[in-house]
Amino acid sequence: MKKKTSRKRPAVNRIYYIYVGILAVLFFTFHTIPFLKGVMYSFTDWRGYGDWNFVGLRNYIHMFSDADTGNAYLFTFKFAVITTILVNVISLILACALNAKIKFKNTIKAFYFLPYMLGSLIVGFIFNYIFANLIPQLGKGLGIKALSVNILGTNNAIWGIIAVSLWIGCAFNTLIYIAGLQSIDTDVYEAADLDGATGFRRFSKITFPLLAPSFTINMVLSAKGYLMVYDQIMAMTEGGPGTSTTSIAVLIYKKGFGGGQFAYQSANAVMLFIVVVLISVFQLRVLEKREEKLG
Amino acid sequence: MKHNTVKVKEHYNWPVTILLIIGIVVVILLPLYMALMIAIKDPSDMNNILALPKKIRLQNFVDAWVMTDFPRKFFNTAFITVINLIFTLITNSFAAYAITRNRKKSKFFSLMYYYFISAMFIPFQVIMLPLVVQANTFHLDNIFGITFLYIIFGLPMNTFLYTGAVKAIPEALDEAAMIDGANPIQIFSRIIFPVLKPTTATVAILSFMWTWNDFTMPLVLLSDESQQTLQLAQYVFKKQFSVDYNLAFASYLLVLLPVLIVYIFCQKWIMNGVVAGAVK
Amino acid sequence: MNKKIVCTLMVGTLLAGMLTGCGGSSEGGSSAKGSKGTELELFSTKAENKDILQKLVDKFNETHEDVTIKITAPADAGTVLKTRMAKNDMPDIVAMGGDNNYTEVESAGMLVDLSGEDYISTVQESYLQMVYDVNKDKEEKAYGVPYATNASGVIYNVDKFEEYGIEIPKTWDEFIAVIEKLQDAGEQPLLMTYKDAWTSLCPWNSMAPDLAPTTFNDDRKAGKTTFVGTHEEIVEKYLKLLDYAQDDFMGLTYDDGNKAFANGEAAMIVNGNWAINQYLNSNSDLKVNMFAFPASNDEAQNYVTSGVDVLLGVCKDSANEEMAKEFVSFMLEPENAKMYIEDQFAFSAVKGVEQENETVAGVKEDIANGKVANFPDHYYPSGFDLSALISEMCLNYTNGMDNEENMNQFLAQCDEKYDIANVD
Repeated sequence: MKKKTSRKRPAVNRIYYIYVGILAVLFFTFHTIPFLKGVMYSFTDWRGYGDWNFVGLRNYIHMFSDADTGNAYLFTFKFAVITTILVNVISLILACALNAKIKFKNTIKAFYFLPYMLGSLIVGFIFNYIFANLIPQLGKGLGIKALSVNILGTNNAIWGIIAVSLWIGCAFNTLIYIAGLQSIDTDVYEAADLDGATGFRRFSKITFPLLAPSFTINMVLSAKGYLMVYDQIMAMTEGGPGTSTTSIAVLIYKKGFGGGQFAYQSANAVMLFIVVVLISVFQLRVLEKREEKLG
Repeated sequence: MKHNTVKVKEHYNWPVTILLIIGIVVVILLPLYMALMIAIKDPSDMNNILALPKKIRLQNFVDAWVMTDFPRKFFNTAFITVINLIFTLITNSFAAYAITRNRKKSKFFSLMYYYFISAMFIPFQVIMLPLVVQANTFHLDNIFGITFLYIIFGLPMNTFLYTGAVKAIPEALDEAAMIDGANPIQIFSRIIFPVLKPTTATVAILSFMWTWNDFTMPLVLLSDESQQTLQLAQYVFKKQFSVDYNLAFASYLLVLLPVLIVYIFCQKWIMNGVVAGAVK
Repeated sequence: MNKKIVCTLMVGTLLAGMLTGCGGSSEGGSSAKGSKGTELELFSTKAENKDILQKLVDKFNETHEDVTIKITAPADAGTVLKTRMAKNDMPDIVAMGGDNNYTEVESAGMLVDLSGEDYISTVQESYLQMVYDVNKDKEEKAYGVPYATNASGVIYNVDKFEEYGIEIPKTWDEFIAVIEKLQDAGEQPLLMTYKDAWTSLCPWNSMAPDLAPTTFNDDRKAGKTTFVGTHEEIVEKYLKLLDYAQDDFMGLTYDDGNKAFANGEAAMIVNGNWAINQYLNSNSDLKVNMFAFPASNDEAQNYVTSGVDVLLGVCKDSANEEMAKEFVSFMLEPENAKMYIEDQFAFSAVKGVEQENETVAGVKEDIANGKVANFPDHYYPSGFDLSALISEMCLNYTNGMDNEENMNQFLAQCDEKYDIANVD
């Protein structure tokens, strides 16, 4: 079919080539060249300045024996999986609720989108204070021991960061789900009503499958974002206590810039890039297949 | 059509409404309320964080304003954000359109599509140091340069967002215009761009939020203090005036305020934009 | 469509209004000293000393009218300095700690050798030696001139010590006795602020020089010894201290802790002179003093931990090297060195310039007599993040891990991570 259409169509206008070409050159100069340099440095012993030598695959091999890197990957995967799932579940519920026949619909929606506008640095600072002061005060007042300490100083620090990530992240995902819900033809529901499908059955059999495109976007974007998590952690725990909340991006930053391991952390960053791409491609494949099957 | 649904007296789902309102108060507003309370209190009045202040102290805002050199930082941030927004919307949308429409006709555009999309997955940390060197070579270590870089760096994400929307526009529309003798730029600006409005809203919000809230790129690129952005100033501020939470929170609120104002005025447009535009 | 235009216009005018409103006001101050003669940049890695540096620069300008010195003291100065090194855009003068950041700048050949300058002879040898020690290959050249030094030890609330009639402890046993006494009296003996992991290094830095073998740092680097087998006593005592920390010591931030200490919520805190300003900012009536951490029962072994907090260096390729050197020379004049330490509660590396402030009187004598040991972590390789390891050990402690197991695990980790980081 492709061939047939391409024969029929007129040639592509030169303006398109020129325009996209210029942007591509600019993008190549300021994004791809630095990236390629970064990739190149991952095969060297460069410290960020001065002389350097090629060291072959040493940095990559080292990664597999380095416990810090291993732990950072474990933490990052754990964080990304939990947060991606929770953010999608909560957003889906919120979207359904916001799509119901509620009063003050637009105002309520506007409030739920508010956290998205605020920026993770300052939100991180605010929640830092909440975890350090407000919640412990509350916990002591109520006599609940688990709540009377700063969660960011315990084994459960990850949950503090997850909570803030949800607070920031749900807004955008919810809106995308709402968009998906609104694009569903009401006829479909009417038909379902006739068939006697209601409540959860209607959701799981009809609504959710029709939300497939929104679901794809949300899963891919959240997984990608949470695999590269950085801002929230720097604003809240800086990777602590110990190294228990050190994500890969935080490790790259801390050790690459503060710890004189620039080349090694470049290798780590290249690895992170590969991992994120693989996961995203995998998600897209699976989810798009699902979309097609349903569509 | 929309008006009809409003006019018809509906049965509101009150339990859901109430639950949602409780959610707003507890989850969304409480942290912000706390931030506000701290910002308007005197340091001696901090025993009960959530209580209303005994005396409202606006001096915190004045001090924060002076200490962070708010006007200059605001100007820098606003400059970067606004210029980036305008150019991103104009340049990136057309790029995405050019790529998406010609993907099937030419290998070049298909290649470009994958090129830009795959760049979305490059962690900023890996390009950070080489970028600094590159930016220095081209004298981009100032607010003009950083704005330019934002516009370029937005391409992958924006191409990704626009693609779906462009695909959804029937090509017959372009073809009809082409037969009428319109050139690609005319077709795009007169026919396609207006239809893309919802996605443009999404892109606008994302770009706005990104540049307003980013602090990593300003940190490494803007070495001159007079060029610093608001977020970066907060980062510095936190370390310098650490003990005085009242001052710190006043300063945070000063940074949030412009965003809130924009949001209040454009809230409906933003919401409708994202809702209608994100998925096609 | 209309709405969009209206909205865009609104945002536009809003922003434009604010811009013009504010732009005008900020123009005035910035370029008072415009196109005058020589321009230098002074890069400080300590945001805290920016104001006093500015005062000193102003004073310098009284005699050097045609010189403009711009002070840069960014957040995350280490990162920023590294990016500046990468793009070969170094300042003219650096003011930084005598730590592994300095080692990186020095070993990259960015600094001018100042050994031949007159003022070198006015600097205390012990601090000069500390700079040599962190030079690449321990080269005995002054690429950085020690300027201000710090002191780490136990900071205590003078009123509380007087109230309970407590004498300054000189040995570990006395120290524990003091802690017990305070605890029995219902006071919080020690405050720990380990939400900020670097503060967990303070007791370690105070104890390690007293208790570890004297040649440990060199031997460890050469692979001739290990943490296991040499640091057990230090870890045992460290864990013992945790028994007396407040609840939730892992969750308290440095800032909140300083505030709490200033308000009399605890009797002692293990930290350094740099924190004193913070206490006094929260409570100007507070009376504090400091004593050397008594890690050993042999009084002679209990050193004050003191390192080079600020050293001054002149960068190679500076277009105004001579002027930069002149400024460094100016800074080292006793009068100016004094001005600096008085503002910072620090000590001076310049001979004869003494800190007379009451808040650090307890360690003054030891410092003057050279009974000081440098921060051990200045000798560790820069990729070796000991604070993360200690913080992890403390986390295990709060989770109820057995001390013996915790210690063994921690020391084994130290050796492992040290070896990983110890590659050149």
